[in-house]
Amino acid sequence: MPEKALEIQPITITTPTPNSPMATPPPPPPCRTSATPDSPIMTTPRRRALHRLTGFTRSLSCRRKRAPSGRRMCPVDQQDDFQQASTHCLTSYYSVFVVRLAIMIMLAILIGMLTVLTWHFTKVYTTKSLDTLAYGLRYELLQRPILRMWNILNSTSEITTAQVKLSEYVLRKYSSPVTQANPTSQAQLVELYETMKAVTWSLFQSRKALNAITINYRNGFVQAFHRDHRSNNTFYIYSDLSNYSISAGMYSRQGWNDQSIKGNISAIWYREPLDPNTGIKIGKAKPIPADDLINIAGLSQVPDGAATWDVAVSKYTDSPLLSAALPVFGPSNQSIVAVVGVTTALSSVGQLMKELVEVHSGHIYLTSQEGYLLATSTNAPLLANTSMGPELVMAVDSQDHVIRKGARWLQAIYGNKLPPGHVVHIEHAKLGKEDYYIDSFFLNLKRLPIVGVIIIPREYIMGKADQRAFKTLIILISASVCILIIGCLCILILTNGVSKEMKLRAELISHLDARRRAEASNNYKSQFLANMSHELRTPMAAIIGLLDIVITDSSLASEHYASLTQIRKCSLALLRLLNNILDLSKVESGKLVLEEADFNLGQELEGIVDMHSVQCINQDVELVLDLSDDMPETFRGDSARFVEIFSNLISNSIKFTKSGHVIVRGWCENWNAFEDSGKSLLEQKKSWCALRSKFKQQTNYVKKTCKKENKMILWFEIEDTGCGIDPAKWETVFDSFEQADASTTRKHGGTGLGLSIVRTLVNKMGGEVKIVKKDSPGILMRLYLLLNTPSDGSEQSCQVDFSKPTVVVLALGGSVGRGITSQWLRRNKVSTIEASDWKQLTLILPELFNPTNECNGSEEQPSLSEPLEEEQPLSSEEQPSLSQTLKEEILNIKAMKDQVFIIVVDIGLLDFKAGIWLSQLDYLDQFTGKAKFAWTLSHNSSSMVKAELRKRGHVIVVNKPLYKTKMIQILEAALQGRTLEIEICSSDGGASTNKALVDCDIADALVPLSLGDKIERLINSRPTRYQDFINHHIEFTDQNPEPSNSSTDSENQSQSSPKLPDNGLESGRSKSKGKEIASTSDESQNGSPTSKRQKMVSSPPKEKGSSSSSGCDEEKLRGLHILVVEDTLLLQMVAVKILLKAGATVNAVSDGLQAVEAMTSMIDSLVRRNEAVKKGLEPEPLKSPPYDLILMDCQMPVMDGYEATKEIRRMEEGTRMHIQIIAQTAHAMSTDREKCLAVGMDGYLTKPLQDKITVETIMKHLGRSID
Amino acid sequence: MDNVIQLQKKLVDYKTSLFNEGILDDQFTQLQQLQDESNPDFVVEVVSLFFKDSERLFDELAKTLDQQNVDFNRLDAHVHQLKGSSSSIGAQRVQKVCILFRNYCEVRNIEECLKCLQQLKREYYFVKNKLETLFKLEKQIMEAGGTIPVQ
Repeated sequence: MPEKALEIQPITITTPTPNSPMATPPPPPPCRTSATPDSPIMTTPRRRALHRLTGFTRSLSCRRKRAPSGRRMCPVDQQDDFQQASTHCLTSYYSVFVVRLAIMIMLAILIGMLTVLTWHFTKVYTTKSLDTLAYGLRYELLQRPILRMWNILNSTSEITTAQVKLSEYVLRKYSSPVTQANPTSQAQLVELYETMKAVTWSLFQSRKALNAITINYRNGFVQAFHRDHRSNNTFYIYSDLSNYSISAGMYSRQGWNDQSIKGNISAIWYREPLDPNTGIKIGKAKPIPADDLINIAGLSQVPDGAATWDVAVSKYTDSPLLSAALPVFGPSNQSIVAVVGVTTALSSVGQLMKELVEVHSGHIYLTSQEGYLLATSTNAPLLANTSMGPELVMAVDSQDHVIRKGARWLQAIYGNKLPPGHVVHIEHAKLGKEDYYIDSFFLNLKRLPIVGVIIIPREYIMGKADQRAFKTLIILISASVCILIIGCLCILILTNGVSKEMKLRAELISHLDARRRAEASNNYKSQFLANMSHELRTPMAAIIGLLDIVITDSSLASEHYASLTQIRKCSLALLRLLNNILDLSKVESGKLVLEEADFNLGQELEGIVDMHSVQCINQDVELVLDLSDDMPETFRGDSARFVEIFSNLISNSIKFTKSGHVIVRGWCENWNAFEDSGKSLLEQKKSWCALRSKFKQQTNYVKKTCKKENKMILWFEIEDTGCGIDPAKWETVFDSFEQADASTTRKHGGTGLGLSIVRTLVNKMGGEVKIVKKDSPGILMRLYLLLNTPSDGSEQSCQVDFSKPTVVVLALGGSVGRGITSQWLRRNKVSTIEASDWKQLTLILPELFNPTNECNGSEEQPSLSEPLEEEQPLSSEEQPSLSQTLKEEILNIKAMKDQVFIIVVDIGLLDFKAGIWLSQLDYLDQFTGKAKFAWTLSHNSSSMVKAELRKRGHVIVVNKPLYKTKMIQILEAALQGRTLEIEICSSDGGASTNKALVDCDIADALVPLSLGDKIERLINSRPTRYQDFINHHIEFTDQNPEPSNSSTDSENQSQSSPKLPDNGLESGRSKSKGKEIASTSDESQNGSPTSKRQKMVSSPPKEKGSSSSSGCDEEKLRGLHILVVEDTLLLQMVAVKILLKAGATVNAVSDGLQAVEAMTSMIDSLVRRNEAVKKGLEPEPLKSPPYDLILMDCQMPVMDGYEATKEIRRMEEGTRMHIQIIAQTAHAMSTDREKCLAVGMDGYLTKPLQDKITVETIMKHLGRSID
Repeated sequence: MDNVIQLQKKLVDYKTSLFNEGILDDQFTQLQQLQDESNPDFVVEVVSLFFKDSERLFDELAKTLDQQNVDFNRLDAHVHQLKGSSSSIGAQRVQKVCILFRNYCEVRNIEECLKCLQQLKREYYFVKNKLETLFKLEKQIMEAGGTIPVQ
């Protein structure tokens, strides 16, 4: 079986041709070095080479496949699991291929085995059984002629024996008398011969097959019967009896030889035909030559007295004859009296053979041991006529070519040395072109061994089987090939699905990989941003810290201080930006939570505008803030984010605006009113349609949730005149890192983060931001925010009392800002005249004021009330350049009575080249008495100008840009300064309890870009001390002549009552430059009553200050009871010491809770006492005097200062008390100050406490004078 | 008497040098001015309180920074205290380091905080040394029967 397999395999395996799917497998398996090294596939070298080739390409592709995987592997450890997955995929990928291959091989083997087995069973077993059968057949076939031969021989021998026995009997009967008495007589002899003849005839007659029977007597007499088979005649042959003396012949033993017979030529032989059946003589005897017809067995043939066999050849038969000879012994058994010979033709054997061969094909022949043919199954002659007469033919010379070839083949193989027994069985003898079976048998007869050979063509026996086997094989092979191919195809198709799935899985995994990598890189990005901002924040912290250090340095000039403050602010802004980057990622991940705290929206916006105005002025861009009046002051929301939004938007606008203006507009709508207004809005702006539907969706929800809160929709527009944005990019600019034009980064810088932060924040605040179409160049960004307003605080911001007719001359450079301001003023019923440059101003001013010297010379009194009413024609003649409308306006103004003139002058209108501005100021000074001047400074206005302004008494100074709040401030300062005069005259107004705290001193206001131009209102519970306060206030300001002192603490506020803003401002100024003013006050000519009063008021302090400059710090606080709240013992000690030294009674506690407790007891006792007083009872004496003031530390354990203050303020509600709380804080930042004020503190001090400032501040807050 | 004058001169020089070098500032002068007959050892008291306080705070700071998860708020509070007390006695340089320290606290940079702590300690011992010398000089003058010169 193995050999068979080997034999089969090449066939089955090589059938898949090289271009079959097996040879070019689509998926490369893993480098298969020893997959099936000893598999039958490898048997053919071609396959091996092919395999090696494919293996090589596979290994190549393997390496190619592995290389990227290795690359993929190296970058990160965290992708191990993924890597595993991918390798797993790869291996499974390969395993599928291996499995596919294995299945194919198995299929091939299976089919091969089936084929082989089937073939084997069909062919080999058949062949074997056939062979067995054939062998039997052959044996039988051969056996039969041999048996016949044997029979012939036997019968011959029997006949011979019988003849001998009969002859012996007859002879004995006749010879005995002869031998005993006389020699036999002739008659007796004849009788003997006659008897013999009859006996012999009967024997002859009984055996038809006999050819002849001869009896050769001793005396030479011959009797013979002969049967000629060809002519079917029977003859009796006898020799002439007369020639023989029976006795002589019979008894002369020695002379009895063939010679005597044959040599007896004279003997005459007769032949008489007989009736073959009856033996009756039917013809005349004819003499024939002796020994002519038949062989007469003579004595020579039985020399030893035993029977002999011989094959003879007769002239008259064409087949060899078998002759047997036996001697007939005499009665004594010692002498041979006659020889009987029997001759049988062998042709009957041939006949039988022929018959056999006719049935089964093939050839049979018999030969003698020497190789002479005795009988064949063919008609080929067995005798050859030679010169010597007919002779037997050798088998190798037989005329039948099959017999000849077979004999020759046998001879060639065995030569003359036949195997013992002469038995040969050969199954494949190639004779000529055909296969034959050759079998030979040996029949060992004494003196005549016979060899029988049978030659049967293989085709006869195995022909069908071979044919069948071949056909089966062909069918099997073709079927198996078909099955193999189909199977392989099926496997391919089936596994193709699997491999497709594998491919998909691999793809999926690679996608997963890609996704993970993308996520990782995103994480890296976030990580990077976080790290970077951390790394950037650290140096920023150092910068800010160092700035703080420098700022605390007391020896700074105010300019340096200002710059440092600015640097600090910028640093903080930068820090905030860094935080923004974090915020953005926070927002993106949804982690940002908006703060909910009240904030002053207007203030924040103003702060932003102030901040950016510096940049604007540098760029020649006007930054204008235009908020509608109905805008509530406070909103609840995240102020920092709000600021961020606008800061980003404004800076973005400024960045892209080279010249022109940037306007920030703001208005608001009530949420509930929105639905109605929404319609009109919708009509206006189709693009906001979606927004409205969104609103509607929100409405229900919002209404439910925000019923209590007053929800407002705040609309803002930021308009610029910059380069604009392509409308196609209006949406995309809000994406991260997106800029409208790629080149802008180079030109303008920036990261493209700003707008994206804006959008996320605006969306977070429930709003939307959008770029809106506008006609002029530039862009108009519109956004809305949903913010809550605290329900109580819906007061309007504009509370200036414009009862007096007021005239404002706006001499401002920026046309847009001026326009907006004048519009607002007009809306508020304030007459406004605009002037865009100096020249126009010089035209307007005389127009307004000049008429006074013409008509009412007597009326130039300081009252200022009715100076200008007439002389329009003149003025119109004088100022031909003024436009008609302006003139009309001026006329209208002049028609009014008791106007207040306020002239707002942009410092930029002054011409600073050469000394012109001084003369310009001189020019303006002539109007000082008639009008109030307010100046708008820019950040780069030189201190010399400021000093000059101060010197000339222009005390109302604001920083650019001018917006509503600042305008109100100016108006209040100007108008209330005027009312103040009246109130001073009435000595004690007392009605108004409002006190305005001008949060900034003027020194601060003069600092460029200060954001602090704000007016805070605080409730003062001690209106009665008003008068004292003024005096004291002015006094103490003069005690600090050094400007540096005031500049160190920005919280060193000047406080003034709203009735005294002018004075307050001025005193604030005098604080820093008090001496200067005092010394130069003479220079302010044309002093109006106001300025005179100011001089007057400010001079006494000067004297006082000089007299008590250093000495009288002590006892300033005498009689005051102060509570010091401070946790650090050391600081507490110092504070207490400072206060003690100043003469106050001091109690100290170490945290907020104790302070609250102390206050509680105090308030309780006070309340009780008040009640007692009310009831008319004698008030019980207080255990300790009530505290006048608390010095509160902000950062404390247990309860911090802010909490404590809130608590105290809460307690005070309902009582009419308001204890002054002054914070002491280490933070020098404005936010801290705001925070302090927000929780209800009245003022604050910076640590470390400085005795003078401390005492001053306390006194200021208590409105206490030295007495 | 010469001795006293010499000592007084030395004291003045020393004090001036302290001010010039920026080790002390006006706050210290103020402290000295607060001292009067009713409380003749006020400065020494306050300063020794400062020493005591500071050393306690250093311990706290070191402990806080030593923890696995540094509690920056606590750290900040401690530094804040130190800053307050140092600024109150006029130990300017200590105060400045405190300011830096607090900024790093805000950014949560431990390394810088540790550096700051080291620097803080250096500055503290420096100023402590100086102040002790100053007090020693003053004491010597007092013992010698002189008065402490007022600036």
